[in-house]
Amino acid sequence: MVQKKLREKAKELLSKKEVDLIIGFGEGTQPLRATPIFIRTPEEADRLVWNSFCENNLAAYLHKFNRFKVGIVVKGCDARSVTALALEKRFKPDQVVLIGVPCERMIDRKKVKKAVKGEILKVREEGDKIIVLGEGVEVVLKRDDFLYPLCKACTHRNPVQETLLVGDRVEEAALTEPNPEAKEFEKKSPEERWAFFEKESSRCIRCYACREACPMCYCTECFVDSSNPKWMEKSLSPSDLQFYHIVRAYHQTGRCTNCGACERACPMDIRLTYLTQKLNQEVDELFQFETGVDPKALPPLSTYKTDDRQEFIK
Amino acid sequence: MEQTWEPKILAFLCNWCSYAGADLAGTSRIQYSPNIRVIRVPCSGRINPLFILKALQNGIDGVLVSGCHPGDCHYLTGNYIGRRKSSTLKRFLEYLGLEEGRVQFSWVSAAEGGKFSQVVDEVTRDIKKLGPPKHFVKHVRSS
Amino acid sequence: MKVKPLKLNKKDFQSFLKDVMKDHDLYAPVRLAEGVSIYKKIESQGEIDLESYNTQKPVKEVFFPQSEAMFRFDKVEDRHRVTSTDEVKRPRVVLGARACDIQAISLLDNVFLGKEYTDVYFLQKRTSTTLIGFACNHPLSTCFCASTGGGPFTREGSDLFFIDLGETYLVEPLTEKGKALTQNKLFAKASAEEIALASDIEKKAVKKSDASLPLEGIEKKLDQLVESRFWDRVHEKCIGCGVCTFLCPTCHCFDIVDEAVNERGQRVRNWDTCLSSLYSLETSGHNPRPTGRERTRQRVMHKFNYFPKNFKKIACVGCGRCILYCPVNFDIRQVLQDIKDY
Repeated sequence: MVQKKLREKAKELLSKKEVDLIIGFGEGTQPLRATPIFIRTPEEADRLVWNSFCENNLAAYLHKFNRFKVGIVVKGCDARSVTALALEKRFKPDQVVLIGVPCERMIDRKKVKKAVKGEILKVREEGDKIIVLGEGVEVVLKRDDFLYPLCKACTHRNPVQETLLVGDRVEEAALTEPNPEAKEFEKKSPEERWAFFEKESSRCIRCYACREACPMCYCTECFVDSSNPKWMEKSLSPSDLQFYHIVRAYHQTGRCTNCGACERACPMDIRLTYLTQKLNQEVDELFQFETGVDPKALPPLSTYKTDDRQEFIK
Repeated sequence: MEQTWEPKILAFLCNWCSYAGADLAGTSRIQYSPNIRVIRVPCSGRINPLFILKALQNGIDGVLVSGCHPGDCHYLTGNYIGRRKSSTLKRFLEYLGLEEGRVQFSWVSAAEGGKFSQVVDEVTRDIKKLGPPKHFVKHVRSS
Repeated sequence: MKVKPLKLNKKDFQSFLKDVMKDHDLYAPVRLAEGVSIYKKIESQGEIDLESYNTQKPVKEVFFPQSEAMFRFDKVEDRHRVTSTDEVKRPRVVLGARACDIQAISLLDNVFLGKEYTDVYFLQKRTSTTLIGFACNHPLSTCFCASTGGGPFTREGSDLFFIDLGETYLVEPLTEKGKALTQNKLFAKASAEEIALASDIEKKAVKKSDASLPLEGIEKKLDQLVESRFWDRVHEKCIGCGVCTFLCPTCHCFDIVDEAVNERGQRVRNWDTCLSSLYSLETSGHNPRPTGRERTRQRVMHKFNYFPKNFKKIACVGCGRCILYCPVNFDIRQVLQDIKDY
């Protein structure tokens, strides 16, 4: 079982002092949740868990701990984020030990919540089933029906870069085409698209959960906080909400790994991945680039080819 | 007298090529649409996508970004980087539903006074067809 | 005043609201998306959503909007002119607020309606608003209102208190303001059975709400922990976003900015979060709360130590929103238990 192997590996790394700490997942305090934990002794390794609720991208914590030698539990998408961060020189190359876990795809907890009436009190995973216990009600759900959409489209479930692999490699067979939400969105007319974007962004409360959950958002001064020049205001005017989402997504060009941490963090259930998926599609089409796959490939906006496409330029 | 709407278009021109080209258009007394407002930048690679977005938010009717032809950049590779930024930004904005043609890009060299005036005329025609921006503009109340 | 419980049939609820809306602005939960709701001014009754458990943004927004223009300024013929922003034109009614949110407003009164300083924006809204509280028949497992000195049926702060009995509401007018709203022939005296049923529902709800974390003495305990190593690990998973602070019914920090173009614009106050590194960043570059450790400590201390020192009450009503919506499942109940056990 992956969880057992994970704990053994963690114990090994910590007792041999090959890392100062390990960032992994622990049991959440609510059903459908796992929570990031930070362990420093072999005894604490038994707190590590591995399940379908390990949705956070733990690479976001590497910035906080970049003075230490860190072991980090990564899914495929998280591993690519770490590679992308290494390219951006966020830590020294030997500082991070990637404990890679081939991902069986994470569950969309918000979808599970919507599918069950009343409060969910306990959730148990049994093979391909999710057993949900509510108040006086037990519902059995098919795991496959509640996979997170981006996970269904994933083609890098095995960590591309890893120092250690825990668990057997899984078959890279996406269940949907890549960037499915962007493709769906593109079918709409321009007016419909703006209306959708406007409606989604109108719920935004500028909590920046999306920004903080994203491993690639680490600027000490984010563009929203810049006062000279002041790009935008911190109020809830529709235009500023749109500005924030446009730019935050755009700043992920060539850096996003489709982990979905942003969308999953949002308390107002704002759809966000259709924005970054488009940009991932673009860099693939225009520059044949995919984030975090090739550790030597330079980020696309920091380099060029003399024959880059320019049919749009007069 | 009927007043037709005249768009206001922001033109970011790179100092070494496009701005010089615009200047040549002027000294050659070439007539072209008076709708652009020029901002001179050192290089088309200097353009931060936030410039374009801020301009659109402030209510500008159109944006033109113009630089040196590939291979001719005064800073050697600035326009190549600018090209990548421009292509990704343009596609993203159009994906969101902002009208195609509101943000445009061109290569104009210092010797192409004629081309510059043509580009401006074209862009102005396109923006006139699109009309004033319907989305994203911010109006700050002051009373 | 002695409470004489009334009843309102659910099928008369719409008519009641129609009457209320004749001369009041009505604020109630509005669904923005499935599972997402906030308090908004109601234009038509169809918008009201009393089904979802609790809104994301709490009732504080009605009195302390997330983004509020304080005044506007422009120029008229070279002379500067300042205009005040929309004053409250009609009395307001807030419908559907849970006991936790309403208790929080009473806590906010300490901050905004203090003895030496009165926030006119808050005051204006507060004095012109009648609060209709709704009892919480089914507290969630994340609700720990009973541990913070409140409870799902706590009536404190409500002008009018509705208890859902199924086909009818039991209605308790608790203040003169609340009584004024019941001067409507749709209300009738509640029967003894109805009062008994309400009492029964109340007992069940109170039993369900989590009282396992009594917080008496937490202030004194925290006094001992100010410089403790306890805080070294607490902050680790916090990513420093603003979800808990913005969704918290008692959090009240704000930032004031001028939104202006060429001498014309408005002065706006926006909610701010102490968990942002910018919150305490000084112009010199010095930051008295440089890392998450200091900021997380500050948040806990403010709610459970500083606020009680100033106002004799903890600044937490146990609504559980911070637990439900935290992206990394940071759980304040765990932290509080750890504090008690340290």
